[in-house]
Amino acid sequence: MIIDINFIGLIIASIMASAVPLILASCGELITERSGVLNLGVEGMMIIGAISGFALMTVTGSLIIAIFGAMLAGVLISTIFAFLTQTLITNHVATGLALTIFGIGISAMIGKNFVGIPGKEFPVFFEGFKDTIPLLGPILFGHSIVFYFAFALPFITSYFLKKTKIGLIVRAVGDSPESASNQGINVRLVRYACILYGGAMSGLAGAYLSMIYTPQWIENMTGGRGWIALALVVFSTWNPIKILIGAMIFGGLTIIQFHMQAIGVRIPVQFLTALPYIVTIIVLVVISRNSRKIRLSTPSSLGKSFYKDN
Amino acid sequence: MNTKLKISNVTKIYPGCVANDNVSLEFNSGKIYALLGENGAGKSTLVKILSGVIIPDEGEIYLNENNLKLNSPSDAKKNDIGMVFQHFNLFETLSVFENLIIDSDEQREGLREKIDTIMKKYNFSIDLDIPVLNLSAGQKQKVEIIRCLIRSPKVLIMDEPTSVLTEQETSELFLSLKKFSEEGILIIYITHKLKEVMQLCDEVAVMRRGKLVSVSQIKNENIESLANKMVGQNLKTIKKKKAKTSSDQLIKITNLNFTSEDPFETNLMDINFSVNRGECLGIAGISGNGQSELFQVLSGEIISEKNSIEFNKNYIGDLNPQERREYLMAFSPEDRLEQAAIPQMKIFENVALNNFKSSNFFNNGLINENKIKEHSKKIISDFNVNTENIELKSQFLSGGNLQKLIIGRELITSPDLLICFNPTWGLDVGAINYIHETLIKINEQNKSIILISTDTDELLKLSDKISVIHKGKLSKIMNAEEVTSEKLGILMGGAN
Repeated sequence: MIIDINFIGLIIASIMASAVPLILASCGELITERSGVLNLGVEGMMIIGAISGFALMTVTGSLIIAIFGAMLAGVLISTIFAFLTQTLITNHVATGLALTIFGIGISAMIGKNFVGIPGKEFPVFFEGFKDTIPLLGPILFGHSIVFYFAFALPFITSYFLKKTKIGLIVRAVGDSPESASNQGINVRLVRYACILYGGAMSGLAGAYLSMIYTPQWIENMTGGRGWIALALVVFSTWNPIKILIGAMIFGGLTIIQFHMQAIGVRIPVQFLTALPYIVTIIVLVVISRNSRKIRLSTPSSLGKSFYKDN
Repeated sequence: MNTKLKISNVTKIYPGCVANDNVSLEFNSGKIYALLGENGAGKSTLVKILSGVIIPDEGEIYLNENNLKLNSPSDAKKNDIGMVFQHFNLFETLSVFENLIIDSDEQREGLREKIDTIMKKYNFSIDLDIPVLNLSAGQKQKVEIIRCLIRSPKVLIMDEPTSVLTEQETSELFLSLKKFSEEGILIIYITHKLKEVMQLCDEVAVMRRGKLVSVSQIKNENIESLANKMVGQNLKTIKKKKAKTSSDQLIKITNLNFTSEDPFETNLMDINFSVNRGECLGIAGISGNGQSELFQVLSGEIISEKNSIEFNKNYIGDLNPQERREYLMAFSPEDRLEQAAIPQMKIFENVALNNFKSSNFFNNGLINENKIKEHSKKIISDFNVNTENIELKSQFLSGGNLQKLIIGRELITSPDLLICFNPTWGLDVGAINYIHETLIKINEQNKSIILISTDTDELLKLSDKISVIHKGKLSKIMNAEEVTSEKLGILMGGAN
């Protein structure tokens, strides 16, 4: 059998495309968690982003408004979470779960009118270069702006956390909000900002799904990707580069098991469908097995409420 | 330049407690001031007000005649007031340098130079690029001090700085503080340790129950006079009688090893010792040298080889704490609210917790509440726990009362051996005295104690034999009379 080398390139490109929403949502959640806040509402924020992006695109016809609108929708819904957990000091876990249920419900309600409407074509870059380099051509060229942004994001996130002052403050707040507060850092403000940023990235991830990846609205179309994103953050031990690896493995296995099913490999379908979840977790656990590094990168105050007693 | 700090009529009221009652004080640079008081006397509240962490209900603060409005810690920093807290305000997982740069407006390279200069000047040596959690307590404190010095403060406040330090580290700290004072920094030193006040300070202000009791020159005071001012009554000094030498061996530890999977725990290497009946073995050391691992191995929280622990002629190394209690061992862990008691449970429920089998607290799996309550009341009256209400949740007991309750709970079954870990940590003088008396009484009843403590004075007061733990290894066991605190300090630092 002769396999066209460009075909392999196309498969890799499709794997990367399926990793995009995971990378975006995970990197957003990573910043939130690094500040000590556990937001389990990623799935809910993603699906809100998905319906907002699709609805705005259909109504206004503008892709730019739609993309930024989806991010804004993510910010708005995460503001609810931030207000509840940071101002009213509610429990992070319960509030996050509620946010997911709320997001799925409200997106289904808004989405009723948008079912079956075809999406719009999203502009891609460097389309013409696709065939100039074998294998690498389809991988590097012909993708949307969101795609390129997603693959730059883990490196930007890593740089932000390690090298910038604000990144340092985020890590400090996650390590010890009490000490940060005594140092004159406004813990609540930092956490608000990190939650809202996480919301924006989840919104963007959702918009990517409904506007670029499969340009249409289907109820519950995030299909658990928000939960995978959450798992990636934990199993990558809060390391953005490992998130990239995890997302690629997960995306890769999802695509490959589709192809295996299509070819008719005699393995139970249920096992193939479960494969990405199992392998991703195993790989991330193995590459993260250094308890010293885990201790150094785990935000010590994760999920704990902080309030100043004056 | 002279610095003058004035606190004028400061009052801070919490529900059910006046933390600072109309306190006025004046400080001038060139001197080291002690702020002395027991736990809960209000000294920590006062310095938190000075550092902007707490906002007072009433009163003013003046620095060189300027009225300061300290609404947040950054206000205090802006006004050149630096503070080193008792519980370090450091970010454990960040590097030393990251900890220092976080509240500085300077550029990385400039700051690094500045830190190097400060470290050279005061003879500090700390690797700036390792995470803070790898530092010893003394080093962490130096990081906190450097953090203040970067801003060239006019006022430096130290809140109970020696509670985690060794003798050597303490004298190093005192040298540095004297140097700062000579350079014109006004130093306010908060403590409840009288010896330190006498050694270091020029003037002393004593607080009790939120009120300022006295301000005086150190040269007009002595340890007894200060103690009486601090407690408000005459304290009797307790002294241990020399124990009758007994050769009846109660517990023997042979070649005990413990290797932890957690790299931040200390491994125990080749521990050997024995304790006779009626004896108290003190184990000294700087915290984090394996004390908590040793306590866990002795209490059965960590299980070891069966033959490594021989108690009363039985091998018990593989038994859990509950089973060891049945052989008449008793335990008082370091962390009263996390390990010894469950804060959300009532006093009598906590009393029942360590007595599942060998008591009549339970009938056929049902709780016999009356029996437990009766028993709890006995503990409360026998051990002087200052509450009537056994339905009170344990978290509302003060540290001293909770410790009395825990020791009482352990002792009421009259165990042969009590193992305690920092039993007087964070307690006030009155409670410490009571606990010490109780421990001495245990020895007089021909029962034994293993006392793991970071407080050298306590160990010298109570122990018959002393050993020092350093990096998971025990020094040879010495007779307490032959040991001085200087010698212990040297061993605690790792020298031979």
